[in-house]
Amino acid sequence: MLFYPEAISNLVDGFNRLPGIGPKTAQRLAFHVISMKEGDVMELAKALVNAKRHLHHCSVCCNITDIDPCRICNDQSRRRDMICVVQEAKDVVAMERTREFNGLYHVLQGAISPIEGIGPDQIRIAELLRRLQDPELEVEEIIMATNPNIEGEATAMYLSRLLKPVGIKITRIAAGLPVGGDLEYADEVTLSKALEGRREL
Amino acid sequence: MWLKALELRDFRNYESLQLFDLSPRVNIFVGQNAQGKTNVVESVLMLAVAKSHRTSRDAEVIRFEAETALVQGMVEREDRTLKLDLHMLAKGKKSRVNGVEKRKMSDFVGHLNVVLFAPEDLQLIKGGPQLRRRFLDVEIGQVSPQYLYNLSQYQKVLLQRNTLLKEISKKEKKEDLLAIWDEQLCVYGAKVVQKRYEFVEKLEHFARDIHSRISGGKELLSFRYVNSFDLLEGADVTERFFETLQSKRRQDILRGTTSVGPHRDDLEVRIDDREVHTYGSQGQQRTASLSMKLAEIELIRAEVGEYPVLLLDDVLSELDSERQLHLVESMGERVQTLITTTTTYGLEQFMQEQAHVYRVEHGVICREG
Repeated sequence: MLFYPEAISNLVDGFNRLPGIGPKTAQRLAFHVISMKEGDVMELAKALVNAKRHLHHCSVCCNITDIDPCRICNDQSRRRDMICVVQEAKDVVAMERTREFNGLYHVLQGAISPIEGIGPDQIRIAELLRRLQDPELEVEEIIMATNPNIEGEATAMYLSRLLKPVGIKITRIAAGLPVGGDLEYADEVTLSKALEGRREL
Repeated sequence: MWLKALELRDFRNYESLQLFDLSPRVNIFVGQNAQGKTNVVESVLMLAVAKSHRTSRDAEVIRFEAETALVQGMVEREDRTLKLDLHMLAKGKKSRVNGVEKRKMSDFVGHLNVVLFAPEDLQLIKGGPQLRRRFLDVEIGQVSPQYLYNLSQYQKVLLQRNTLLKEISKKEKKEDLLAIWDEQLCVYGAKVVQKRYEFVEKLEHFARDIHSRISGGKELLSFRYVNSFDLLEGADVTERFFETLQSKRRQDILRGTTSVGPHRDDLEVRIDDREVHTYGSQGQQRTASLSMKLAEIELIRAEVGEYPVLLLDDVLSELDSERQLHLVESMGERVQTLITTTTTYGLEQFMQEQAHVYRVEHGVICREG
């Protein structure tokens, strides 16, 4: 049984396919779109198409960009001897917000996960290796900032095994307590992770 | 701690039930099948953990035709008396401790501690190793969230590794990719194994004593954690796991599954140094299962500082009359025990002298004697 005209159900289905949006929200968004002014709908549609058409992956770091190479890779004021390896473009944004890291990035666009059919060839590892062969770029340290779950850990481990023979310093970001929090509120797992990674003062 | 009073309203087959004079020792609920004995046990368990062991849908306990169900209990602890209310609604449930509403169920859970022994627990020794692994995982997990985390990480890595093994055997992936999973598997696996060893040691300490009492001092119970990789004296667990994993690699690839690790381990139970799973009589297997579960009572006491309430649901009839008597006598001395049974044969004298006896018939409970 069809409750609404096809045009609406197509729209609902379209929204429903987006991450984090269930059938109820999809329906709400669809009806909202219909009630919008035509000009606003056109703008939204254009924004969607534009984003898709004008954005692509940086040929150097694989981050999402509108120019190639991307702004970060082009930025001559950044250190060129450090590369921070992250899983997703979102992670670059997170790292940039810290304003602490002034090197370059490499976006893997995923993590190794056999159950999802993702092996080293499915993520942007070859691109990283090619980058490291560039004689103009003298990379001294690679920071593994993949997620602290088993897939991120496996990916970091894979890369470090691969890169060890090259003789570059490879580091892994720390895991543990959130800053500014109280010890008593930390969950046991995080706390013991922090205990494992303790350092001498 | 002990449950002094229990009140039910529209719970399962009870329209209204009030038990104000429970004994701090042994309480026996006698009745035919399908009269509502297990429902009493279930309600007490729910006061303790806010969940039923029989269903995951809370609304199922609401009596037919009724809108809501209520379980109320008065718990006597060493330093205070607690009034616990658990209200089951068509959607969700509400809980109160001494009249104060607890928004989070986790704030309600734990005011009453119980240990439940149900008929399915008798399979613990006779059944397959997965039952004993689950027993270890549940028991350790109750006191160590860290263990549960390591276990779930281990299972995730295992799933990844097994998927990769299958791809390698089909020549779709290269073997050297295994290394990144092997390393993590060993780190988490070793933590799981070590914790299980520690726990089995504690368990043996308590279960041996209990078993000796139930068997009238005739049998000596012991446990051995059976590891799928040999642990050498003084060797590092992670390293030993890793070495064994490497030596089994060919075989693992052929079979497409991981052949060593805590997911293959077992808990061996012995009576008088003979393995009970294979050589024990049915009665010995049941008694040993019971002793293992009852050891939980002592483990909780070590953790909480007070004995929990013991719920024995329909398990007496599985033991001979001598063991029955030893069980209720030895437990009743220290632990409040609620027992359901269809027959009281062999316990008549004990019941008359030392227990509160309740007759259960069609959702009505009357105290006898």
